Amino acid sequence: MRPVYVLGAGAHPWGKFPDKPQLQLALDALGGALRDAALGWRDLQGLVAASSRFEGGMGWGLHANEIVQAVAENGIPASNVGGGCAAGAIAVQTAFAMVASGQADIVAAVGAERMPKGFIPRPPGSASDITDNDYLRWVTMGATNPAYWAMETRRRMHEHGTTAETLALASVLMHRNAIGNPLARYRKACSVAEVLASPMVSDPLHLLEICAVSDGAAAIVLGSEAQARKRGGQLMEVAGCAIATGQFGDPALRIPNVASPAHTATPHTSEVVGAVQRALAMAGVGPQDIDLLEMADNTAWHLLAWPELFGFYEAGQGDWMLARGELDIDGRCPVNPSGGFLSSGEATTAQGVLQVCELVWQLRGQAQGRQVQGARLGMSAVLGLGANGASVILKT
Amino acid sequence: MRTDEPMPVAAGLFEGTGSAARLIGTRCTSCGTHYFPKTLSCRNPQCLEKATQDVLLSREGTLYSYTVQHYQPPALFRMADWAPYAIGSVELPEGLRVMGMLTGCEPASLTIGMAVELTVETLYRDEQGREVQTYKFQPRAAQEQTA
Repeated sequence: MRPVYVLGAGAHPWGKFPDKPQLQLALDALGGALRDAALGWRDLQGLVAASSRFEGGMGWGLHANEIVQAVAENGIPASNVGGGCAAGAIAVQTAFAMVASGQADIVAAVGAERMPKGFIPRPPGSASDITDNDYLRWVTMGATNPAYWAMETRRRMHEHGTTAETLALASVLMHRNAIGNPLARYRKACSVAEVLASPMVSDPLHLLEICAVSDGAAAIVLGSEAQARKRGGQLMEVAGCAIATGQFGDPALRIPNVASPAHTATPHTSEVVGAVQRALAMAGVGPQDIDLLEMADNTAWHLLAWPELFGFYEAGQGDWMLARGELDIDGRCPVNPSGGFLSSGEATTAQGVLQVCELVWQLRGQAQGRQVQGARLGMSAVLGLGANGASVILKT
Repeated sequence: MRTDEPMPVAAGLFEGTGSAARLIGTRCTSCGTHYFPKTLSCRNPQCLEKATQDVLLSREGTLYSYTVQHYQPPALFRMADWAPYAIGSVELPEGLRVMGMLTGCEPASLTIGMAVELTVETLYRDEQGREVQTYKFQPRAAQEQTA
């Protein structure tokens, strides 16, 4: 395997764009990433797209094929990868593998999404019987995604004494960070009182403690060392890049399952923990070496729990770390300087790519308004349906 | 089928009513792992044989966690006279955590670790007027008081 470097990053702002087709969002992000890399469409030797179930892809998830047919019919390999909300990061991993293996010198990964409003509905294609958990969770009890997260939150309150105010504070931090991020959708500061006054969705989680759904697109161009040197500037290596699936006995309440064997010896959210551990091992670093973490904060609970699960600090310490300001941009362990999902809203398959874009801007010192000073090592972590986990570590 | 007979919201999920209600699951006879609902195979990667059989699961367990849903879920979920309701995750002695609606007590009196048991209740009447039922969990003490 040869080393792989970041050549360019680009993203479309997050929000609602009813007049812009999904393909246009993808082209905007990818065009931006290519410009950033000082490359043209004709230079691409491969394209990997995150497959979306919501729009585009000719109904078969062929989003990369749509892009090459739209702008560059060059005969290049087009791969489309699924992975639910982790698909974007899996696309980055596939692009990484194509460059690392020597199959190609310049490969782009892209995720572009336009989301329907409200609770994400059940997809078509599965039988309406007990063989489909996503059918069962709706018809037997109407368990929305926030219901799963709310039960994790309630359990944390029980085990660690987490308070409603601490959960609200996590949301406050994300909204404050987003003020400095022009790509974020919600860029207005809010107070603990405002978060607690927002409607209760799934007790104990309030509306402002749960991510919305958004439209958005992001792209990354990866390449060989020779290509990175040609671009010039500081080299940025993909030091770790890993995907994983869940482990047997994982005690997490996994969407959309209605039941699961739970073993205390198995890591919670094992698909993401597994990916993070692999990425760290690949980079030859430990959690203490990471300068910033961009992670999937579907809720305020995730911000408290995930860094603990990754070994950044002990279980239950997240509340204290947050209250002490250690998760702030200028803290000891900055988490989501971008403002995270709580401020961008989730454009499912694009999210894992946007996280890597943010790492690029942070490590280059280009994250004006939200810059983690002196950041050299950044890590992403994301979870997707089907027990997909992914993590990317960039290094300058 | 008699049209006035209540029917489960999904066939093969549970059987019986009241104190006779039982969830139908799968037990791996090779490694002993239990699953709900019935599964095609055992998921334990260390289990080589993966010989499975259908079993009735324990009726009683403890509440691992819970939530109260304040927004009406998408239309696939049907419930007559919708109002905010509780959902819980219940730990069964088989080492299995099962999610389900909670009934028989006010949300404010729910506590993690409380003893609960299975019951079956009607969610709504379908277009033919038949009662459509789901499984739920209720506090064990509350059930004894009303018995």
